[in-house]
Amino acid sequence: MPAATNRQLAVRLAVGRALGRARDLDDVYSAALDTLAECLDISRASVLLFDPDAVMRFKAWRNLSSEYRAAVQGHSPWTPDSVDAEPLLVPDVTREPSLAGYLPTFAREHIAAMAFIPLVSLGRVIGKFMLYYAEPHLFDDEEVQLAGVIAAAVAFAVERGRAREGSRRSDSGSGFEPNASSFGPWEWAGPSGARVANADGLPSGTLRQVRQCDIESDPDCLTILGIDGRLLYVNPAGVAALGAQDAHTLLNRRWVDFWQDKDREVVEQAIARAKDGAIGRFQRPARTLAGVMKWWDVAVMPIVDGGGAVTQLKTVARDVSAQSHAEAFQAGQHQVLEMIATGAPLPQVLTLLAHVIEDQCEGLLCQALLLDVDGTHVRVGAAPSLPEDFSARFEGQPVGVRVGSCGTVMQSGRSVIVTDIRTDAQWAVLRDAVVAVGLRACWATPIFSSKKKVLGSFAMFSVSSRGPSCEELRLIETAADLAGAAIDHHQSQEALRQSEERNHAILRAIPDLMFVFSDDGVYLDFHAKDPAELLFPPEVFLGKKMRDVMPPPLADLFSQAFERALTSNEPERMEYSLDLSHERRFFDACIVRCDNDKLLSIVRDITDRKRAELDAAAQRQELAHLNRVLILAEQSGALAHELSQPLAAILANAQAARHMLDRDPLDLEELRETLDDVIKSDKRAGMVIHRLRELLKKSSAVLQPLDLNEVTREVLDLTHSDLLLRRMPITTELAPGIPPVLGDRVQLQQVILNLVINACDAMSTVDPSERELRLTTVADDECVQIAISDRGVGIPDGAFDSVFDPFVTHRADGLGLGLAISRSIVVAHRGRIQAENNADRGATFRCFLPLATGAADAVPAGPRL
Amino acid sequence: MADAGPLSFAVVDDDEAVRTALRRLLRAMGHEVSVFASAEEYEAIAVEADCLIVDVRLPGLNGFELRERLRTRGSLIPIVFITGDGGPSPSDATAHAGTPTIAKPFSEGDLIAAITQAVASAANVS
Repeated sequence: MPAATNRQLAVRLAVGRALGRARDLDDVYSAALDTLAECLDISRASVLLFDPDAVMRFKAWRNLSSEYRAAVQGHSPWTPDSVDAEPLLVPDVTREPSLAGYLPTFAREHIAAMAFIPLVSLGRVIGKFMLYYAEPHLFDDEEVQLAGVIAAAVAFAVERGRAREGSRRSDSGSGFEPNASSFGPWEWAGPSGARVANADGLPSGTLRQVRQCDIESDPDCLTILGIDGRLLYVNPAGVAALGAQDAHTLLNRRWVDFWQDKDREVVEQAIARAKDGAIGRFQRPARTLAGVMKWWDVAVMPIVDGGGAVTQLKTVARDVSAQSHAEAFQAGQHQVLEMIATGAPLPQVLTLLAHVIEDQCEGLLCQALLLDVDGTHVRVGAAPSLPEDFSARFEGQPVGVRVGSCGTVMQSGRSVIVTDIRTDAQWAVLRDAVVAVGLRACWATPIFSSKKKVLGSFAMFSVSSRGPSCEELRLIETAADLAGAAIDHHQSQEALRQSEERNHAILRAIPDLMFVFSDDGVYLDFHAKDPAELLFPPEVFLGKKMRDVMPPPLADLFSQAFERALTSNEPERMEYSLDLSHERRFFDACIVRCDNDKLLSIVRDITDRKRAELDAAAQRQELAHLNRVLILAEQSGALAHELSQPLAAILANAQAARHMLDRDPLDLEELRETLDDVIKSDKRAGMVIHRLRELLKKSSAVLQPLDLNEVTREVLDLTHSDLLLRRMPITTELAPGIPPVLGDRVQLQQVILNLVINACDAMSTVDPSERELRLTTVADDECVQIAISDRGVGIPDGAFDSVFDPFVTHRADGLGLGLAISRSIVVAHRGRIQAENNADRGATFRCFLPLATGAADAVPAGPRL
Repeated sequence: MADAGPLSFAVVDDDEAVRTALRRLLRAMGHEVSVFASAEEYEAIAVEADCLIVDVRLPGLNGFELRERLRTRGSLIPIVFITGDGGPSPSDATAHAGTPTIAKPFSEGDLIAAITQAVASAANVS
């Protein structure tokens, strides 16, 4: 997750910046609290440290009452001996039994959740951060990790700061300012030019002044120079600081010679200023007699005689190596982090890191090794100060206990200190190469990812056989931590790059069209594997609103889908068709929200699939039709009966008419009557054939909003003569202004027709005077109901459902198909149909059809049943 | 048959159009015709007739049942079955046995042949 490593880098930089400004420990604590507030948005926090008495005490805090601090002072889940301390998270203080005793205190302070983040240095707990929350808080991995990053940096700074303050404890002030007693016009009584040290090691003439300012016990390196610049006196602290056996080895040497040639000019300027009666100041590094490079903050002051003439010079030099080291280290760390953040190549980052660490440790050489992605081999990350062919020996070595400290470290995930490479078994394989370049000791520590996975090792080589100092160990740990951040970032960048490459590959492979829209439907971007697949060239749609490019009804559908996708953040799918110049093509669009306020529409041409579906639908339709034909074939006897009756009447009437024609005189009245009956029977046969034809007709359903009252009237018009013929009196109660339903006109006509015929059939045996066919429509919020009531024989008990089964009929005639078809049509319209007996007489069939709004719009067009 | 002089017929058919047409045809041929909408109606009135023309499928008593009742009572009246179901089916073979059956729509010739056959077989029995 690159965003996570970026955030981690930002936090590292922020804490680095804040600590870089710190002048003392209090500043370090403030920096810690500032960074917590800035990076983790934690406004209530504290820093506690173990004091030498092993009691954890508040050192700094934000927004905590003194009562609270007093109440919890000294509480700590860890002791100074705790190792491998991990953050303790308390999402809800009321559920943490170990804190039960503090609940009233927490309640008064409005603390509902807290985190204990240990400050660890060299594996030991030195203190902790406390993070406080007013509400129960679910900690996520990232914030704990970031708090850990801040804790590591702060622990390091605290340890350094403590070390520095310890060395300064004897100082009078926190900054180095020559105090009043050590400079200014000195009173000088004795003879000038005295060069011979007396028993105290002081030039005799200066004894009084020396006593005055207590230079013997001054912790700084203090010297007296003759006017010619040669050393007349060095105090004991100075002898020690310069690494000399005793003062005599130093006396009479030119002071300027202690400094590097390139700094000579600065040194001589300071001397010149002192000779002029002023104070010369400079900060420069110089080697001690033991060869150790140290940074010195130096003041050169005049010693004057009674007449005001400068007769000797006094120098006060303070070893500020630690301080300048710390500053250089902060700056170096910052530089490394910035390099990581700007995406510099990993070897460059590791090289800079090695230099930064080497600058901190005189005489030590750094080597960063990486664990190969295969997890079993060593790769050289950076070793800028070691010979190239030396590093080459490490490249590709298998990870293991015999491959130097680093191989062991990578395998075990633990730090390894080898004080003498010549004898240690861990160096069995690479010993010769290492010893040949003069290295004797190697201290290595694992580089971990933020998820505690071993990424490599960071090692320091020493030319002498020894173990590391605490300071050196802390530096290695910090270096490993930084290297981990660098490798993490590099890997996540690499993963991002690969993922982008993958995405590009996927994009290239995807046959679909993709469009990016703004939230108000403007085409922002597109992807098409083959631009020829675009309906319009890009310049026609890019930057335009969809409404200006697509047919308005389709643009409307899209804008509704966009709205839903933006609100729900769920993918929206829609199918649509477009009539192109020579054909209709079908598309499927999947719309998802992206970049928060944009929409990605992935469009696939599904014409082929759609055609296959339509073919399948046609096949189903064919089957439904075939089914009807089969049913009719089965029922051919009944159909034949229905037809044979009028045909028999017609034939008999026609033959009777022929007989009548043979008569003399012709009975015209009788003939007319006969022919009328022929016509009547023929019509009856025609009606049967018409119904048959309707049943056998093939056509597709067309869904449209329909006024059910209108459909009902059409049916009644159609059946008017039949109903008259059958003497079925009709009553209608059609509710005015009912909302439309979505349906196929012919199908719904068929339903009503079936129910009307069914009702009439039910009443065929009822005396015409008692018959009543009643059609009623009524609407509610969800559906329109049409009810068809008869005063016929009713439905036998328990047959209210089976009455809709195909081929079930409770009447002597009829096919038993009408109600079955009616039900399948109503169900296909997402409605339902039910039958019931009336309280007094006959039955009522009710159809409920959903209104043509909302979900009903999605009723798929299907084959007409 | 045409030479047999005027005969009297009873026609039983629930379909009004059919029985009206048959009555018209037989009368035009010079015969006496009484029509009934059901077997029950025919039995109630119990007219004397030379031949009974009856629809097999009737509401209430059907044609076969009517024939059974008549024969049980000892009536030897010649009977012709008419049917809208397309002639005798194998399962009806015994039911139809001995009784001429014609399928609707039938011609005048078919009807006369059936009546002739019915009258002849009744005469044989007697």
